[in-house]
Amino acid sequence: MTIMRHDPDHRHCNHVDPGRELIHVDCASHVYPDGSVGIHEMCFHVMKDEIVALCGPNGSGKSTLIEHLNGLLLPSEGDIVINGRSIARGERADLWKEVGVVFQRSEDQLFAPTVLDDVMFGPLNLGLSPEEAKTEAMKALEAVGAADLVHKLPNYLSGGQKRLVSIAGILAMKPRIMALDEPTSDLDPVHSAMIERLILEFKKRFGISVVIATHDLELAARIADRVCLVRNGAIYAEGSPREVFYDTALIEEAGLKLPDTVMTWLEYCRGTGMASKEQPLTRTELVAQLERSAGQGGRKSLD
Amino acid sequence: MSAAMISEHIPDIDLITTYGERQDSAVSRASPWTKGILLILIVLMITLTSNLVILLAMYAAILIACVMAGLPMRKILAWYAMPAVFVLSLVGIMAWNQPGVPVLSFTIAGFILTLTDQGILLIVTLLIKALISVTFSLFFLMTTKYAHFSAMISRVFPSPLDQIFLLAYRFLFLTLAMAASILKAVRSRGGGLIRSVRVQGGLFAGVFGLVFIRSFEQAERVQKAMTARGYNGSFAAHTAIPKPRIAEYGLICISGLAVIMTMWLVPHAGGW
Repeated sequence: MTIMRHDPDHRHCNHVDPGRELIHVDCASHVYPDGSVGIHEMCFHVMKDEIVALCGPNGSGKSTLIEHLNGLLLPSEGDIVINGRSIARGERADLWKEVGVVFQRSEDQLFAPTVLDDVMFGPLNLGLSPEEAKTEAMKALEAVGAADLVHKLPNYLSGGQKRLVSIAGILAMKPRIMALDEPTSDLDPVHSAMIERLILEFKKRFGISVVIATHDLELAARIADRVCLVRNGAIYAEGSPREVFYDTALIEEAGLKLPDTVMTWLEYCRGTGMASKEQPLTRTELVAQLERSAGQGGRKSLD
Repeated sequence: MSAAMISEHIPDIDLITTYGERQDSAVSRASPWTKGILLILIVLMITLTSNLVILLAMYAAILIACVMAGLPMRKILAWYAMPAVFVLSLVGIMAWNQPGVPVLSFTIAGFILTLTDQGILLIVTLLIKALISVTFSLFFLMTTKYAHFSAMISRVFPSPLDQIFLLAYRFLFLTLAMAASILKAVRSRGGGLIRSVRVQGGLFAGVFGLVFIRSFEQAERVQKAMTARGYNGSFAAHTAIPKPRIAEYGLICISGLAVIMTMWLVPHAGGW
């Protein structure tokens, strides 16, 4: 995969692999009722079995794009294609069945009297009987490790538990795509790690494609198959995490900061005068690379 | 997140729910249906009778039930402030110039105002009626799991009343939490509600305005999250509600008979 830079004034939408493409947002513009432009010249797609990270500063349009994926918003001008079918006019109902959204604030997502009622809400709207919905809800709660919360009141859950229940509420609907808006924001490291593990599991175990909107570039570097940089309401560039995060100029132009791992490695290379072709992305890769270079004499430079 | 942060005299919905979830006494474990039906019968009874002895007996029985349930009696007494003010503000006008033995009399702008023994009895009777209904409502809420309560609402009330209630309850929590966090921010910088009213009227109004604006914003986000999961105007609580036991059926029958007897006695014994 090579980095694909997008022209912010003219989108160029390619249907990369129609056989694997699940959803395609081809949005010339989305204008809010107050006249502000949410996203424009946006071309975004999600393929089968992939994790896509939308990275961009605050107000760049990540959340607006996520709401387009679920049909909460529709392009003012443009089209959304799901499973090869355009839903630009009217058929909003299909989208929420295919794309589940976990919102940034779990507080807003949990409204039912109990955790069980909340997780059953989606399956019931899909037309399942209360018994079937309960079975799906229990399965989803078990999958996210929150089965013990089933009879609790949402008001009395911790932030991490609320996030897990919110995710279970979407998982119970068995979507083909799950979009998570800032999935690890405001969470302690233990719950962040749990969410990260779950996202990987959704892809491997349930075959769900995942879209995450995040400021956490470390998270994106660890789990994403593809990174899309979002700036001023449009996709600015996209590519594999390794390509994108090692393009320092690109990251700077997008208004972001390099992941710590990348920055540490680049500083190490600069400090030791080492020109390395290796590009570690995760902490494990970085440690392995440092050990390798130390073995090759880099230890001297480190000292 | 507690109404107690605003005033000790406003029922604390958070505390009420916490007690409701405990289920650690025999009266708490009674079926919510039993408690709900008893609440209806008690309201009927206090509507039918004005006999002070019966009312005092009912009030005493309810207080004993509250003590048996381990409810915080001091808090409940503090929460009486609002219903008491409500009753007194209404009855305080009606109580004057009632027929009976005058107890207190004075003239204002040429009008003679007389408080009689019947006027005082009216105040006491209506106050006790109000306290009976408030105390038993609190008893019901503080001994019933919210999941059971909401499931009862879902089954008893027609749509959209049940929808409004189910969503309003959760929204009340969120609004109170928001009010508490704004108050915390005000207090952390030396402000306070009472102080704000006295010194900074604008700030006081601002705090309340902010709570409403943020509540609307939050409501929009909740609605969006519901739409994202296919909300189509129908939402129900599916928790199973425990059925009454035989002894509870007996209690309901006896209470029902008492109400029927009172209904029969009222037209035949004027004092009832």
